[in-house]
Amino acid sequence: MAYEPESKRGQMNYLNEVWISRELLANLTLREVRGKYKRTALGQLWSLANPLALMLIYTVVVGFIFRIRPAPGDPSGLDAFPLWLLCGLLPWTFLSAVISSGLNSLVGNAGLIQKVYFSRIVLPLSAVGSTAYNWLFEMGVLLIAISIAGAFVLPWIPLVIVAMMLLAVFGAGISLMLSVANVYFRDTEHFVGIFLQIWMYFSPIIYPLSLVANGSAKVGGLLGTNVTVLDIYELNPVEHFVAVFRNLIYDNRFPSVSDWLTCLIWAVASLAIGAWIFRRNERNLAETL
Amino acid sequence: MRGRTSVHEDFWALEDVSFDVPAGSTFGLIGSNGSGKSTLLKCLANIYAPNKGSITHFGKIAAMLEVGSGFHGELSGRENIFLNGSILGMSKKQVSAKFDEIVDFSGVEQFIDQPVKNYSSGMYVRLGFAIAINVNPDILVVDEVLAVGDQEFQDKCLKKFDDFRGAGKTVILVSHSMDTVRSMCDQVAWLSHGRLQAAGEAESIILKYLNSVNGEQS
Repeated sequence: MAYEPESKRGQMNYLNEVWISRELLANLTLREVRGKYKRTALGQLWSLANPLALMLIYTVVVGFIFRIRPAPGDPSGLDAFPLWLLCGLLPWTFLSAVISSGLNSLVGNAGLIQKVYFSRIVLPLSAVGSTAYNWLFEMGVLLIAISIAGAFVLPWIPLVIVAMMLLAVFGAGISLMLSVANVYFRDTEHFVGIFLQIWMYFSPIIYPLSLVANGSAKVGGLLGTNVTVLDIYELNPVEHFVAVFRNLIYDNRFPSVSDWLTCLIWAVASLAIGAWIFRRNERNLAETL
Repeated sequence: MRGRTSVHEDFWALEDVSFDVPAGSTFGLIGSNGSGKSTLLKCLANIYAPNKGSITHFGKIAAMLEVGSGFHGELSGRENIFLNGSILGMSKKQVSAKFDEIVDFSGVEQFIDQPVKNYSSGMYVRLGFAIAINVNPDILVVDEVLAVGDQEFQDKCLKKFDDFRGAGKTVILVSHSMDTVRSMCDQVAWLSHGRLQAAGEAESIILKYLNSVNGEQS
């Protein structure tokens, strides 16, 4: 990439450099999006296949075999396990996919990094972009399905988009951190694979939070303090993101301010730390890869 | 590995290399394999960051270290032109303006809408080169990419470099072909084992280099 003489690299210059690369970001994202399902018969529809399959599996296993019933939507009155499930599952699969693909974005493009100069941050961000594209498609289908089922979700859509952006920012920050870590320690992708599995089960995605709350109440305070199992459980940022999505899409009400704030703080912190780590290590990437 | 830390020696690919490239000149970089030429070019192209020292330049630099960087096999030649152009720093408008010129230079007009994985290796490389050469920077850094394509294409490339020189732009060129270096370069730097042996007037440096090579052989 043609680049201008190196002036004092302040914060503004870095942001400026990223802004200049925005067309490249769009092009790389398009490259991912177009290339992914090329030459397949079903094309973009395949991005629906995984969530639908998971929905069926969990509905049978959790809804039928375990007989877990979340409370009906309040005030929407909706009582459909598959839809309730998807409200939490789709954001989760998005986050998980962003982290996995972002994580590999530098190592996977080693050749490009070693041959051409461009703002490296474009690589993990294009992974976020192409994953977000698929997610948008999936969420569109969910919103249509849930409207047909009787939820009045239309006025909440702008807030859903805000929540999606917050989750994307959160995921992007983590991607940035991990993509750099993976260049230095290739084990990172294996650790993260296992961690993501665990993380999913410790988030109220396939079961409602009420189960944890009940169990926690029975146990009471831990080690004589006021801290309960539920308090520790609620440290998980995904719990709050899922709560926001469920409130908006399934319950059709405004999520609690504390949930919004928690999501915002986690998103901003994640991006700030991720960008800082990335920027510090960007210069050495070509040599290390 | 001994114990739990790796035991290794630092390998300095380049050490204590200093020279000036006059603006508007065509500067050659010669040396045997492993002398550090490509590493130096990557530093110039801002891909590697030097551990010590600095590189100062005035104007935009573009580097051609590999042709077809970022090409996606399943996308067509047309789509790849925009993608590759974008990677090399051109905006969509700039690529559109130069599109016909690029296709014409590469000679793949007939197959421009075919996926590039179907191109012959020569076509692939000609398209990549055609895009790179149209980036139009102030300083162009080229690594041994002239040794591709047939004679007709090589002539086209050399003519394009001449146009660059005519326009007062700087070209830094790595080549193993002394003929190319002789005909194109005003000044030359000779690297050996990561150190600068000599820099100056093209003909004399080339002679020094050839003498040392021949000297080693005999």
